[in-house]
Amino acid sequence: MSEDRVKEGWDPKIAAIVCNWCTYAGADLAGISRIQYPPNVRIICVPCTGRINPFYIVRALQEGADGVLVSGCHPGECHYITGNLSARRKFAMLKRFLDYLGLEADRTTFTWCSASEGERFAKVVSGVTERVRQLGPAKKLVKSL
Amino acid sequence: MEAIEKKLREEAKKLLEEKKVDVIVGYEAGTLPLTAVPTFVTDPSDTAKLLWNALCVQNLAKYVHDVIFQHRNAQKRVKPENRTKKVVGVVARGCTTRSIILHLQERQYTREEIVVLGVPCRGYVDKKKLSVLLEGQEIVDGALDGEQLKVTTAAGDRIVAVADVLADNCLTCRFNNPVINDLTVGEPAPAMRADEEYDAVKAFESRPSEERWAYFEKEMAKCIRCYACRQACPSCYCPECFAEQSRPQWVGIGENAPDTQVFQIMRIFHMAGRCVDCGSCVAVCPMGVDLRTFLKKLDKDAYELFGSRAGASLDDPPVLATFREHECEDFIYNP
Repeated sequence: MSEDRVKEGWDPKIAAIVCNWCTYAGADLAGISRIQYPPNVRIICVPCTGRINPFYIVRALQEGADGVLVSGCHPGECHYITGNLSARRKFAMLKRFLDYLGLEADRTTFTWCSASEGERFAKVVSGVTERVRQLGPAKKLVKSL
Repeated sequence: MEAIEKKLREEAKKLLEEKKVDVIVGYEAGTLPLTAVPTFVTDPSDTAKLLWNALCVQNLAKYVHDVIFQHRNAQKRVKPENRTKKVVGVVARGCTTRSIILHLQERQYTREEIVVLGVPCRGYVDKKKLSVLLEGQEIVDGALDGEQLKVTTAAGDRIVAVADVLADNCLTCRFNNPVINDLTVGEPAPAMRADEEYDAVKAFESRPSEERWAYFEKEMAKCIRCYACRQACPSCYCPECFAEQSRPQWVGIGENAPDTQVFQIMRIFHMAGRCVDCGSCVAVCPMGVDLRTFLKKLDKDAYELFGSRAGASLDDPPVLATFREHECEDFIYNP
């Protein structure tokens, strides 16, 4: 089925869960600076990476996202002081766990990107899109109706 | 073992008679041969039915939590000035005390509400291993005699050494003696092979990714979503489980394979830094799903990344409830 999708001109769909204060503003900056980046990401804005339930990531993969990108403020720069630090622990364990189960490691990506890093945001999105394209359409865990 | 049992009954009786506890959660003989089931003793004269041997499987911390919360909910109907607290005594082996520590850290109840009767543990009998050894024959009768099980099946009598049928988590247990204690019953048990604790996880990690996924799929295909694992787990105490929430509906409830996989992934991931490896979920699973391979990985990661083991001490906070400024940056993507 997935080979057919590649033939049909499949393009990765990536759910990007980003924090409102840094990465979302960074994405905004990339936009107003007219920096080009692939249109494959669907950005979901949350107050803080600490707000992200690991279930969001698993659920996105189940609902057919080919990749998930999570990005927030750099450690030490969180709007809520320590939200991203507790998120980091959660994600470190989640990423290792999903990898352990045999899901491709590159499907989930975690990074930091501040409000002034429009260029970095564009680079992250291009990088992640490229990595997911290499993997091809998601097959594991996907709920097909 | 008999000496420990006798002492345990005495201590339990004393606690109940002196009204230091309202109820004691322990084990009694089950109705089927070679089983022990949780029991609640409120009458001092009933303490004679308490057991402590290699057939006691379930983690009793689950029942401690249940008893306290049932009582607390019942107290909502009582005038505030007339409300009482219930003190629960519990027969606790190493893993049960770890679960209690976890409950205390997560502020489920206070230290004053429990009395821990610590018992040393030499591991419990894995019924599935025993069944394999007996080639699936039904156990008609049986008795535990020291380090041996005398089993009667349709095919005849057999003697099985307890050491041959110990559960996997017991063989490599690090905490077979109680971590916290109000009363100690018996001498500390000898150490198990704790240095081999993560060997199975390491072996699984070294297999290729596709093989790991195939194994996960195969195991989860057995799951019938009875939620016995959740019901038995002392760390699963949410008033409403995500599996049953309907707004939002986190996970489908049908027979769909990815739904089952997602349910299991999330239930297991909720155990990150909280699983004490008591084996209760594995013991109650009617389909024999291998949950431990996956749960143990979280334990290993928590220890390797953050140097913490769930419920190992009242002083160190749960892994995901704390952080350090500089740690585990290696998984962060930098283009």
